[in-house]
Amino acid sequence: MRRGHAAACGRVGAAVMAIAVGLLSVACSAGGAPSIVGKQTLRIGVKADQPGLGLRLPEGRFAGFDVDVARYVAAKLGVRPEHITFVPVTSANRQAALENGSVDMVLATYSITPERETKVTFGGPYYVAHQDTMVRGGDTAIRSVHDLDGRRLCAAAGSNSWRRVTQELKIAATRVPAASYSDCVAMLLRGRLDAVSTDDLILAGFAAREGTAVRIVNAPFSDERYGIGIRKGDLGGCEAVNRAVSAMYLDGTAAALLRKWFGKTGLQLDTEVPQFEGCG
Amino acid sequence: MLVKGTPSTPPQGPRSSLPTALLVRLGLQTTPGRIRALATVAVLSIAGYCIVASFAIGNARDGLRVIGHDAGPQVLATSDLYFALSDLDSQVVGLLLTGREQSLGTRQQALNRYGQDRATADRAAVQAAELSAGDPTDQATVRSVLDGLGRYERLASQAILLDEQANPPAGPPPGSVIAVYRQAADLMKLELLPKAYNLTLEGGATVREAYVAKRSAMLSGRLWVALAGLVMIAIVFGLQLFVAAHFRRLLNPALALATIGLIVLTVSAVRLLSGEAGHLQSAKFGGFDSILTMSRARAISNSLLADEGRFLLDPGRADTYSLAYLDKSQTVLYVPSGNLGEYYAGLSGAMKKYLANPRAVKFPGGFYGDEARAHSGPALTVVLTRYQQFQSDDQRIRQLAGVGDDQQAIRLLTGRAAGSSSYDFDQYDRAVVSLIGLHRGAFDQAIHAGDRELGRSILGSWAGLLPFAAIGAAILIVVGVHARLAEYR
Repeated sequence: MRRGHAAACGRVGAAVMAIAVGLLSVACSAGGAPSIVGKQTLRIGVKADQPGLGLRLPEGRFAGFDVDVARYVAAKLGVRPEHITFVPVTSANRQAALENGSVDMVLATYSITPERETKVTFGGPYYVAHQDTMVRGGDTAIRSVHDLDGRRLCAAAGSNSWRRVTQELKIAATRVPAASYSDCVAMLLRGRLDAVSTDDLILAGFAAREGTAVRIVNAPFSDERYGIGIRKGDLGGCEAVNRAVSAMYLDGTAAALLRKWFGKTGLQLDTEVPQFEGCG
Repeated sequence: MLVKGTPSTPPQGPRSSLPTALLVRLGLQTTPGRIRALATVAVLSIAGYCIVASFAIGNARDGLRVIGHDAGPQVLATSDLYFALSDLDSQVVGLLLTGREQSLGTRQQALNRYGQDRATADRAAVQAAELSAGDPTDQATVRSVLDGLGRYERLASQAILLDEQANPPAGPPPGSVIAVYRQAADLMKLELLPKAYNLTLEGGATVREAYVAKRSAMLSGRLWVALAGLVMIAIVFGLQLFVAAHFRRLLNPALALATIGLIVLTVSAVRLLSGEAGHLQSAKFGGFDSILTMSRARAISNSLLADEGRFLLDPGRADTYSLAYLDKSQTVLYVPSGNLGEYYAGLSGAMKKYLANPRAVKFPGGFYGDEARAHSGPALTVVLTRYQQFQSDDQRIRQLAGVGDDQQAIRLLTGRAAGSSSYDFDQYDRAVVSLIGLHRGAFDQAIHAGDRELGRSILGSWAGLLPFAAIGAAILIVVGVHARLAEYR
């Protein structure tokens, strides 16, 4: 009888162990959807052809305001600088890059719009730029966006800027398609179009490079909230990014980076933390 | 009931499978030694159970505290702060637009409301500061909002004073007034409102994180409590069987009582944790998420009203304010549209379909799209209907301004009577507030139920009951074993 009892105890013990092991494995496998939080390495999409924001240097390094902000945010997420891979993206392919997982995060003059928010989750904005218009240096006839009526306006692929002019403000400019903003500027200089209208930070970078060959009309007409694009639904990642951006403004890094990249452009730089979009 | 008898025959020799020396050293070669050892293990298992259970219950308490009493209320206080600040700005815009033409908007009413907003902002800021007592960054942010509010008020008063001196007709005020107002507007838009809004979002993030962490801790805690309880009950029951077998008694009353007590304790603790996880879930999904969504919708809607006014006030920035108005409208309720004209049309089409069959319509995005997916109902229908009315007022205001009839546009914007945009906006805002109130009710109910159950057990709060019950069970085990061991002396 005692023997039987001992055997029963053994079986109960085995069952208890089995339950305990089962519980442990349940507790360990509860990971959830992939998030940028907790990643050891990050692939960050940046522009390769926008001076001041994201530019690939001849030696292959990336440099610009977006690149520096990306490094800061990645550091706050616990990713070491040598574990960041910068991947060149364009306005046309940045959303697809996020969706197919070839990048984890995008900082590429990516304006937050309600339409894009249906496909991408945005942390930030980390800066609010303003859309303005650039013309050839000798062109004094265009003084505001409304003077683009009947003129040839660059429409960079994947960018939202030309929509602001022709759709939202219903200004009857002729759209001239281009692959990117560096293409737009090249076409502007060759006389193939009359104006490039996009964010002042982008225009300032080109203006610094081209000198008096171009002119920014200095009549800003929109608020462009530069977001940090991450995979749709990564709420934890979005919240972590927002905390990093808050810290960047609080510790003075944002002001220093803005001065570093745009201090000489004459743009009015806002050094207060922008109103976040919210992650939900 | 008890079968009295002599102790069983002297202890049998140790089992051959275990080294005798070890058994002797542990005192396990005799029956009293084994009983003592088993009783010790039983008491230790009770102590272990206690630790597991207090940890799990502590998680439940923390979850309720963060969501129900810290970050949750923080979201409400900071969104009140945002609303008051934004409304303050709308009143200043109204005052500057009406100029000397008192008959248009009633100036005194705008001034009164300005005063009310100021008081609401102060109250909400104090509350937000109290709630963020543990977070120095949040506290510093609240303080800097209050400092900024002081600067805003100086600039706004200066603009109003300049406007009174210029005594212009209704319409965009002189350039000097606009220049001063722009400083105030930028301060509001670039410093004060973002800080208040980010505090609301931070509260929301804190709640979400606490919910995810605490709820999973509660659920795994519940499993561990069940497991530790089972182990403890099995050991005490084993002790009972051992004593029964060796002393030929079916029941040892003290041990039986301890076993029953421990079963009741384990079952109630598991039920408590299930209940708490459930209350946390209803507080989050049934209340908090919608409170946050609707509070953000309310905040952004009020800045829509301010942008509408600034569009008339500052022609130099009219494009910026119009585009911001479109973006914000789409954030509130997303309707695919390239410009404001398409937005009005899209909204009207979507609303027609929605009113015909609220459950069948899925708005593709925006705050009300989210809310409709989570909790569609008559209160949301009222909100949406009034939002559409506000948007159709906006359409008329822009049409009037477009043909140069600023007088009519301003009358429509600033008037307080039924049919004016301000009146319709207030009606809309009331509907939003009442929907927030509904969710607040569900949230409070869930939090109170959680608090009540945590604080309620047969012997007072759960935290107090646990050690008491454990000591009681341990005493019963000692008493039950002691009587049997006495038979050996």
